[in-house]
Amino acid sequence: MDNLDYIENYFANKPGTEFTREFEERIKSDPGFAEEVAFYLTAQEVSKEASGHEKKQRFKESYQRKRIVRSVPVRKLVYYIAAAAVVSGLIFGTYTFFRPVSSQQLAGQYEKERLQTLPVTMSGRTDSLQTGLRLYNDGKYSEAMAQFENILRSDTSNFTAKQYAGISALRMKEYDRALSYFEQMATHQGLFSNPAQILQAVTLMERNLPGDTAKAKQLLQQIVSNDLEGKEFAQEWLKKM
Amino acid sequence: MTGASNIFLKLDERPTIMDSAGSNRYTDQELIDQLRQSGTDKRRSEEQLFNRYVYFVREGMTKHALSEDESFNAYSDTILAALDNINKEHFEARASIKTYLYQIFHNKCVDLLRKRTTNKNTVHRAEMISDRLMQLSDSARSVVQTLIDKADWNRLREKLNQLEEKCRQILMFWGDNYSDKEIASFLQYKTADVVKTSRLRCLERLRKLYKTE
Repeated sequence: MDNLDYIENYFANKPGTEFTREFEERIKSDPGFAEEVAFYLTAQEVSKEASGHEKKQRFKESYQRKRIVRSVPVRKLVYYIAAAAVVSGLIFGTYTFFRPVSSQQLAGQYEKERLQTLPVTMSGRTDSLQTGLRLYNDGKYSEAMAQFENILRSDTSNFTAKQYAGISALRMKEYDRALSYFEQMATHQGLFSNPAQILQAVTLMERNLPGDTAKAKQLLQQIVSNDLEGKEFAQEWLKKM
Repeated sequence: MTGASNIFLKLDERPTIMDSAGSNRYTDQELIDQLRQSGTDKRRSEEQLFNRYVYFVREGMTKHALSEDESFNAYSDTILAALDNINKEHFEARASIKTYLYQIFHNKCVDLLRKRTTNKNTVHRAEMISDRLMQLSDSARSVVQTLIDKADWNRLREKLNQLEEKCRQILMFWGDNYSDKEIASFLQYKTADVVKTSRLRCLERLRKLYKTE
């Protein structure tokens, strides 16, 4: 690890003349060191590539949701089929558009699509979070919740544990408890992604007490105007609610 | 600059306007500023940039006769290349983002048509690493370059995927040139120093995995 630190110092900072001379001399005279330098650069490139794959995956999901592309080779028959589809689409769309959809149905659909299973890592290593996630995915929500709350007892600022504890509570229909975790999540600033608001909205929509739908709408509007996580759901739901 | 690209410049330089989805649409400069920031804003801006010109995918299909998958890949690679250049401040904003992206996209489509049967990754890999290698003198660079060429990239990719999730995430953020301070905030580490220690440990673990048969 010492060598990696040393190599990083060379590449991350602007090295002085003496450091450069010494570093390059080692590359030329010490094959083991040269190999570590090559590994450092290759590993960074492979990590960048993996990050690129994840971004592409994210783009793909976004693209599939907003699919604007139709297949290119269009034959005459396709026009007729398309025309028929448009007409039936209009009839179906009008029916769907005007048919009232309850906020509980929308929340239920979200749960089914997004919260049925939570991501477990493939590593063989087990820790409390992974155990909790496995219990959750087996439908053992209260046991999963106990694991997540256990983590929170020793690490009160653990964002992920709060999120999963809240989701477990939501699945158990313990709405107040779920909301309390999601509200705590909302206070975490500067995160790469924070679904606190969409989760709060889903909980309120499902709880459906007097005033809940109005509060959920307010949250959904905030999500749309601040471009927060879950914006696409929020936009769609606001049209339907 | 052509008349057409001047029109693009004017359109893109207008103050904040709304897009069809009703969300704020930023001017080129605002978008670039956000892409150079860190955290949630950056991620959101990446998606905004992707969605803004996603209709290029269709152009790839109609103008270059690519399949939807191929055209989508060319477009995603275009966005990734542009993000990289914007981060490294290689994008000088001489043309609008749209013109700039379209040039990259067009080249990628043509490349794809020409090189459908060749291994394109190899070409990209050499180009990307050369940035760092340029720091070294010719003689040292050639030693390291030879070793990089000999490295088993697929094995390294496979071993990276075998690391525990947090390690993989730290290394991916590092690969993406995020600072340790930013990584600390994304992954809930207490300080940047803790991230640095963990990151180097993860790198060491990856090296051991890569070395062991």
